[in-house]
Amino acid sequence: MSPQSLSALWLSVKVSLVATALVALIGIPLAYVLARRRFWGRAAVDTLVTLPLILPPTVTGYYLIVVLGRRGVLGAPLYEATGFTIAFTWYAAAIAATVMALPLLVRTASAAIASVDRELEKAAYTLGRSEWRTALEVTLPLARNGILAGLVLAFARALGEFGATLMLAGNIPGKTQTVPLSIYTAVQTGETHEALLLVGLLTVLSCAVLVAAGRLGARAQ
Amino acid sequence: MSHRLDVRLVKQLPGFTLDVEWTGGEGVAALFGPSGAGKTLTLQCLAGLLRPDAGRIVTDGRVLFDSDTATDLPPQKRRVGYVFQGYALFPHLSVADNVAFGLRDRPRAEARRRTAEVIARMGLEGLEDRSPREISGGQRQRVALGRALAPDPALLLLDEPLSALDAPLRSSLRDELKQILSDWGTTAVLVTHDFTEAYRLGDRIVVYEDGHVIQAAPRAELLWQPASERVAGIVGIRNVLHGTVLKATADRIQFRWREQVLEAVNSPTRSYLPAPESSLAFFIRPEYVRLIRKDRGTPDPGHHMNLMSGRVVGEADFGTTWTLYFKLDTPGRPAQGDYDLEVEVPRLVYEILEISRDRQWQLSIHRGSIHVLPSA
Repeated sequence: MSPQSLSALWLSVKVSLVATALVALIGIPLAYVLARRRFWGRAAVDTLVTLPLILPPTVTGYYLIVVLGRRGVLGAPLYEATGFTIAFTWYAAAIAATVMALPLLVRTASAAIASVDRELEKAAYTLGRSEWRTALEVTLPLARNGILAGLVLAFARALGEFGATLMLAGNIPGKTQTVPLSIYTAVQTGETHEALLLVGLLTVLSCAVLVAAGRLGARAQ
Repeated sequence: MSHRLDVRLVKQLPGFTLDVEWTGGEGVAALFGPSGAGKTLTLQCLAGLLRPDAGRIVTDGRVLFDSDTATDLPPQKRRVGYVFQGYALFPHLSVADNVAFGLRDRPRAEARRRTAEVIARMGLEGLEDRSPREISGGQRQRVALGRALAPDPALLLLDEPLSALDAPLRSSLRDELKQILSDWGTTAVLVTHDFTEAYRLGDRIVVYEDGHVIQAAPRAELLWQPASERVAGIVGIRNVLHGTVLKATADRIQFRWREQVLEAVNSPTRSYLPAPESSLAFFIRPEYVRLIRKDRGTPDPGHHMNLMSGRVVGEADFGTTWTLYFKLDTPGRPAQGDYDLEVEVPRLVYEILEISRDRQWQLSIHRGSIHVLPSA
């Protein structure tokens, strides 16, 4: 395996792990709130989170540039204040992967949380637990398998992210070139052997992830 | 220490209004009534899981809810133990951890001691590490009770505690539950749609119908002095009949029913004097109708009150007793469809009198066994 492919593999794993961590951090509370609370704008939040699942990844990527690019809504003030821009760094790859993977976790986890018997939460309230403690001690542990399955799917999605990453992070070898981008480049430049190796690697990894998610899903039933 | 529970609640829901007021306390108050009458809704209001629109809930001088002073303690602060209909045991925790769940605020050693004590009192030793899935229905009920009682609640709420069990288990667990409730002595409110259960477990019965309380009374009073024909119907009293008043005095009421004159004792606690010719509702318990033996000579009207004669037109075998459906010999339409009176006799009597062969009988009802119902 060429050093370039090896660095792409390392980057992919790093980006996917960071993205999965971010997905867990943002997605689990979001899934709980969507499953258990009725609030104004709930449908809008739900739609916004799910949208990357439906939109072409390049469109999602474009929106990310509009928000985070050097002249973006958030990107411009950040650049003026610090001289730093997220675009075309590995952070950008991680953020793109997070946004693309988030709906997979939120959908799976909120379905799992919604299926937890509310009487159990009420029982916890009468036994002195606050809503916050009840979520931590009762609701989330009981939705655990659904949440884990969602995280596995999110990791897989992050690993395979292409379009949005290309838009926001570019395709810079050794810097933002993840495995999917590396495969694309290898095919374009005729390095068939290198491409085949990476394709095989990603296929095996994805199959493993699918089996893991299936097991967790089955146990959640 | 004497206990007291005052409840007044108004809660408007789409298509249903709960508007109730009753008093409980010492022992168990059983909320009894058909499904959808608002009993569980009441429990949820008591526990603080549902906020009433208006009202007041006070237990032993502690105000849990008062719409006038905007008091509304959250469920965490009410010191209320709740036994849910399906028990709602935490499936991811062991029996011991379920029981210990409400003891979080206590020092660890004390929580452990209390958990062990409750497990022993509930007869759950040896099951501490089992999952709720691995124990029987009766054991689950005891875990749910133990979990609710462990933090020493001021009020224990039980929602249809026996409905999750199979029929054969129900009656034995009903007695076990009664024992536990009287041993712990916690003021309790129990919801049930089964009158036998309400009667066995409740010291006081609160009858619910369609979001309202139609009677709240000590259990015996409910059975012998239902406040209205509706209560009589809901608690399953048989032979609720209608007559026409002839004469009423402070201790007797004479009335006409099915072309005969009957005499009843006026209710000692709420004797009332309906005008002659007014309509009167009354009931006769099937087990208090006497069949007159034919081998003891002609009946003596001085001894055998309210004498009538009739024919068995239907019967049902309940194992230890037989229910006979009598149609009186007097002309006119029978009072209850195709019969006038339901009469219950012990199996032994049925056999000795050879009722299966002999269908024509004279009946007598003591005047004290005819219960006059207040007019609605």
